[in-house]
Amino acid sequence: MPGDLFERATIETPAVAVSEMEVASHDRGYGGVAVLLAIAAVVAAIIGARASMVSSSANDSWQSALRTEVKRSAAAMNDVQTLYQSDLPTAVEVLKARILAKEMQAAEPGQSPAVQQALEIEAGVQSQLAVSLSSGAQLPSDPAYALPSGGYDLGKRLADIRSENAGLVALDPDGLQATGDGLAQKALLMTLALIPTSLAALLGVLAQPLRRHRTALLGSGVVALAIGVVMAIGVEVLA
Amino acid sequence: MISPDAAADLQAERRFDLVAALLIGVIAMLAAVLAVIQIETAQAAGRAQVEAARLTADLSARLEVSDTAQGQVVVEQQEALALAIQGTDRAIAGLQHNDNGSIAVGEAEHQAGADLGGALTATSATSGGAPLDSYTSSLLTATIGQLVAEVNEQNRQVDLANDAGARNSRSILGLSFLALAGVLTGLAAVLREGRAGWIALLAAVAMAGAAGLMAVLAVI
Repeated sequence: MPGDLFERATIETPAVAVSEMEVASHDRGYGGVAVLLAIAAVVAAIIGARASMVSSSANDSWQSALRTEVKRSAAAMNDVQTLYQSDLPTAVEVLKARILAKEMQAAEPGQSPAVQQALEIEAGVQSQLAVSLSSGAQLPSDPAYALPSGGYDLGKRLADIRSENAGLVALDPDGLQATGDGLAQKALLMTLALIPTSLAALLGVLAQPLRRHRTALLGSGVVALAIGVVMAIGVEVLA
Repeated sequence: MISPDAAADLQAERRFDLVAALLIGVIAMLAAVLAVIQIETAQAAGRAQVEAARLTADLSARLEVSDTAQGQVVVEQQEALALAIQGTDRAIAGLQHNDNGSIAVGEAEHQAGADLGGALTATSATSGGAPLDSYTSSLLTATIGQLVAEVNEQNRQVDLANDAGARNSRSILGLSFLALAGVLTGLAAVLREGRAGWIALLAAVAMAGAAGLMAVLAVI
């Protein structure tokens, strides 16, 4: 066929040979593209995995903060209930009996012997009641909790009850939450390193069809990749 | 010389390769951006949920503790008042029956009730005071204003969690579109620059555009 002859003739011309040589020379750098893309992919995978781990740790810290908050509040509620619903009613009964005994005795002077005897008996009953009720009860029996004006120092007593489980008082959910916040910030900064890394991939894939600019694109890609790596290492070390 | 048909084919092939390469690069960039958004929104949602739950626990503790403490103090004050009233009743009954013993005991009880009330007032003043730790003290001394402010903050955290959760869903949808765009680009690379290849490539562009839109919606 005339067409086939023409085509064979054109293929075998020196111009085509020169063109093929140019293509061959342009094909140089394909290896660079492949290497850049491969390294960018590996770096992106490492950064992504590390950011995911740090983010998971942040979430763990936040969940620990919640658990600690619940534990701390439950412990405080238990101690408050011990004082106000168990210790205080007994202590008030003791206080009432002591005051009654004191007032009965104070009312004796100036009374008839029969009335004095009645007041004496009532004072004795109340004193006995106070002694009976206060045995084994720390709030009414320990002078450390007695107020000068009468009554009890509830703040001091509750502090002592709480100190019996010092570990529960020392629980610090805010600290755990702050730790989680720090880790979350680190994970976010780490993820930002993916942007220059992906830019390196963009420049790498563009270097494939844009043969004339391949060297410049590959160079820029390497720089972008280096920035991503430095960012990731910097965040890992400093944050 | 290269034939005109061959030159046109070469040009079309290069155009196809350029668009495909550009699309792959854009997909890589969008994936990075969406990953950043996804991490940020997931963390914001998680933190706000935990904060809201912590505030709920704290509010429950404050309500329970303040109710227990204040309620018990009121009960004890009522007992002091009852003792004083009992003393007055006894004294009045003694007067009516000319019973000096009842009068004396009643007056003593009335005075004891007043003394007990004073002692209990001093006792309740120490509630939540030193040397109690600051957390327990804050539970006992919580005011209505503080509780209302805490409820408002808890509601705000719930709103933040909902908002961040919605943005997180958009970023995940964007990543899904992006995965589809990647698959379509791969299909286009197999089909090359024919009609089917271009259709696959344009569909990939559309999916990448949708992913970009989701990224924008996830940020705002």
